[in-house]
Formats: sequence, structure tokens, C-alpha cells
Amino acid sequence: MTAILEIQHVTRRFGGLIAVDDVSFVLQRGEILGVIGPNGAGKTTLISLISGTLSPSAGDILFEGRSLAGVPAYRRARLGIGRTFQIMRPFSGLSVLDNVAVGALFGRGGGQALLSKAREQARAQLEFVGLGGSVDKRADELGGPGRKRLELAKALAMQPKVLLCDEVMAGLNLVEIDEVIEVISSVRDEGISILVIEHVIKAIKSLSDRLLVLHHGEKIADGEPGHVLASQAVIEAYLGKRRA
Amino acid sequence: MNTLRTALLLAALAILAAVPWLGSDVLIQFGINALLLAVLAQGWNIIGGYTGYASFGNSVFYGLGSYGVAIAMVQWQLPFGVGLVFGVALAVLFAVLLGIPVLRLRGHYFAIATLALAQVMAAIVSNIKLAGQNIGLVLPPLNNDTLFYELSLGLLLLTTLSIFWLTRSRFGFGLIAIREDEEGAAVMGVNTTLYKTLAFALSGIFSSVAGGIHAYWVTFIDPESAFDISLNVKMIIMAVFGGPGTILGPVVGAFSLSAISEFLSSEITSLAGLFFGAVVVAAVVLMPRGLADMLRRFRSMGWRYFAENIRTHRL
Repeated sequence: MTAILEIQHVTRRFGGLIAVDDVSFVLQRGEILGVIGPNGAGKTTLISLISGTLSPSAGDILFEGRSLAGVPAYRRARLGIGRTFQIMRPFSGLSVLDNVAVGALFGRGGGQALLSKAREQARAQLEFVGLGGSVDKRADELGGPGRKRLELAKALAMQPKVLLCDEVMAGLNLVEIDEVIEVISSVRDEGISILVIEHVIKAIKSLSDRLLVLHHGEKIADGEPGHVLASQAVIEAYLGKRRA
Repeated sequence: MNTLRTALLLAALAILAAVPWLGSDVLIQFGINALLLAVLAQGWNIIGGYTGYASFGNSVFYGLGSYGVAIAMVQWQLPFGVGLVFGVALAVLFAVLLGIPVLRLRGHYFAIATLALAQVMAAIVSNIKLAGQNIGLVLPPLNNDTLFYELSLGLLLLTTLSIFWLTRSRFGFGLIAIREDEEGAAVMGVNTTLYKTLAFALSGIFSSVAGGIHAYWVTFIDPESAFDISLNVKMIIMAVFGGPGTILGPVVGAFSLSAISEFLSSEITSLAGLFFGAVVVAAVVLMPRGLADMLRRFRSMGWRYFAENIRTHRL
């Protein structure tokens, strides 16, 4: 396996707060890497650093072997980095279809120039994530679960090489979680490398090939999911120290 | 349905084009003003309605267009058309040079930053000899209102067609994405800085041509009238009244508010401003998303539409 994304000693400070502290890891091609951690562990900051809406205070991020330092967010999208947002942000003035069409019109390689073609791609993408019945709705008419799927469809329409998912399963019920897991697995089967941030540990355990744990901005574990979840440091981070 | 709408629009256009041969001189002059205001409202629609940047700097484009024509015709004895091109060039230059820093600001901050621009430009122009300093310039008169009317109508048509093109192009989708969520647009691959600057410049092109036509028509300009902030307020009110971010809303807004304002000032001269203000306040309270939205939803919701708007704005 070769690395598609390399995070090298990345630190991000907000004033006195260190949100991400000297974190290094690698995302392999075709891999699903899960990232977990308690609230405030720096997970979303990490995704923002990779997608380019924030820049690191120190360290470097490599995409396909090339440094992303100084590369603005829109160029990273064109290189093939797609992301979803934890707080769903549909373009509420547009229809569900056109929300996704934006991804197809821009996205990797600069996207599709023709609106009719872009809408065609968007329709297929919505079908894929299970929103085929809602294409003509306004985006703000969708409920929470629908918006989660829309976020995924928007990112997928960009035809990314790397997909960064920021809590796409939060707030979903068990049936919906299983459906999203299925969608993400089949995205991987198409050869897209995926980084998933999640709170739902059960879901991420079955989905991920590898699991990485952040705590107070530091990486405290990285490895095979079952092994990582059983480690003492991870249990302490989530549940606190056992009193002697 | 769609062919019917197209037919209706063409008919409306034909009637508008025929006004100089059917109407009185007063009507033609009212028409020129209303058409140019509609162009300005549409110009604002591009940056304010579609891109979501409430610009108070659009009157600067108008002023630059006016001065472009005036300087070219008076100081350099060039034809009107060359003056228009000169004015457009000034406006685009302004949009790019000032747009890049100012378009980094969002919301209120953008509005405040652009608000100052018109004042600054008036002060600068007042000190330029070529522009006639604070006395202004007198243009050679051309007594042909029909020509000015048809020019204005043609400009409005061109502006509206451009906006129609926007709504079905990659560029337009990029602008709407910026309006809805700028960060979200960027991570989807929209070059937000470039797109915002282009939208500002496009808005400037149409507004400056309107200024150029107006200058030649009234044959006199000075810094006060060319860089008048209340004109910017007017175009915003008209665009918002009709429906910002819609293809025809600002045109309808400009025509209806021009008519209301004209009617009020002829009927109740001294208090016209007061009543005009009342109309605007009522419009903002009852239909904050403009006429276009009201027409669309009034059919299904009836009077509840107004009640709901009042409620959601906690008045």
C-alpha cells in the first residue's frame, strides 16, 4: 500500500489553546481510517487543516507526496480532497439536486462545465446515497438524516480521491447508521481513501481498517480497531482513570 | 407554461420598446429614469442578490461611468461610445483594485467598508482638474429622448439576459454557493476570491454604462450627484423589494417603486418622502424576501403569508 495523505508533526494553536499537538499519521490508498476522541480532542480541527480552511501552526501535510503548505482550500478540492461538515451546511436556497451539482461543477480537476451534465451526475450521486426521492426538494426541507446524506453526496459529486467525513453518523438511528456504513464501504470499493471522524464507536469499529485516537490534541493510539479500543490509554481518555 | 411565459415577456418587451412612439414626453423621461434604475438594481442583484455581498459601493461604478463619458466627450472630444468604454474600464479597474481587499470582509463589515468608498471618490474627483473639480462638467446636449430611452432599454435587456445566463452557468452556481456558505463553497472547489471579484466587476460594468447614459442624457455632472449614496440605497431597496437573487425581481421592484414614488410626488408633493418611506417599511415587514417570493407563495398560503412574515421577524 502507498500513502495518499501524510500528516507530519502537525500542530495547530488557537491563542493559548493547542487544538492539535504534534500529530503524525498516514492515510493509505483505499483505506478507511477512523479517528475517534472525546469532545474537544481536535478531530474537526484536523479535518479543517487537511481541507485547507485552517492552516497548521507547525508541521506539514502531504497529498500524493506533495506538500499542501500554502495551497488554498479550493485548490485542494480540485486536487481531490473532499470533506463533509459536522454541522450540516446545505446551500439552503438551492434544491437538493443543485446542492450536489455544485460539487460536480467544481470539485476534482475543476469539475464539469455544463450544468445539465453536472445535474445528471448529481442525480446519480443522490441515488447512490439513498436520496433519489428528494432531488427536487429544497435543501432546507430535508431532515437531519437527509442532510447527513446530502453532505456525503455533495462531497462525492466532487469525485474526490480522499474523502474526509466529519461525524456523518451523529444523530442517526441504528438502521440509518447501518445504511451509511454501507454507503461508505461501497465508496471505498470504488477506490476512494476515507478518513472518518466519529463518536459512535461501535459503528466506527466495524467500518475502519485502522483506528486513531486523539486526546487533548495528541495522538494516543493508532492501530487495529479491536486492539486500540482495548488499550489502557484509550479507556482512560474516555472513562477516566480507575482509582487505585 | 414556459412558452406562455416567454411570450408574455416578449410582449412586455415590445410594449416597453414602443413607449417612445406611444407615450408623452413626460412618460419617456420617467421611463429613462426607471429603466436606468432597473439596470442599477440588477447590477446590485449580481453582487448583493446572487453573491450575498451587500454592496454600498455600486454608486461608485455609476459615478465612474458618468465621469468616463463626461471626460471623454468634454475634455478629449471623443464620441459617446468611446466614453462608455472608458467608463467601463474605470469601473472594472476599481472593482478589481478595491474588490480584492474589500471583498475579504463579510456582512456588515463589507457594507461599512463600501459605504465609505462613494464619499472618498467624491472627494478625490473634486480635486481632479480633468474632471472639472467640484464644479463638474457640462456635456454637449443631444435632444433625442427616444434614443436614450431605447439605449437604456437595450442595456436593461442585456443586464437581465446576463443574469439569466448566470442562473444556469457554472459561474452563477459558484456565486450562489458563496452566498449560501463561503467556506463550504471553497472546500467544494470554488475559487471564492476570483468569483467574488468577477461578480463585483460584472456588477460594475452594467452600473457604469447606466451612469454614462445618464450623464449624456442630463448633460451635466458634478461629484455630488455622480457619487450619490442615496442612489445606492435606492438600488438596494428596489432589488430587495422585487426579490434579490431572482432574474426579474429587481426589474419589477424598480418599475413599481419608481411608479409609486412618481405618483406620490405628483399627488402629495411635500409629504411624498414620508409615504414612500412607509411603503418601503411595509414591504420589508410584510414581504422580506421580495415581490417574487410573495407571488410564488401567496397562491398557496394566502394572507397567512404576511402573518407568518410578521411572526418570524418578531415584530
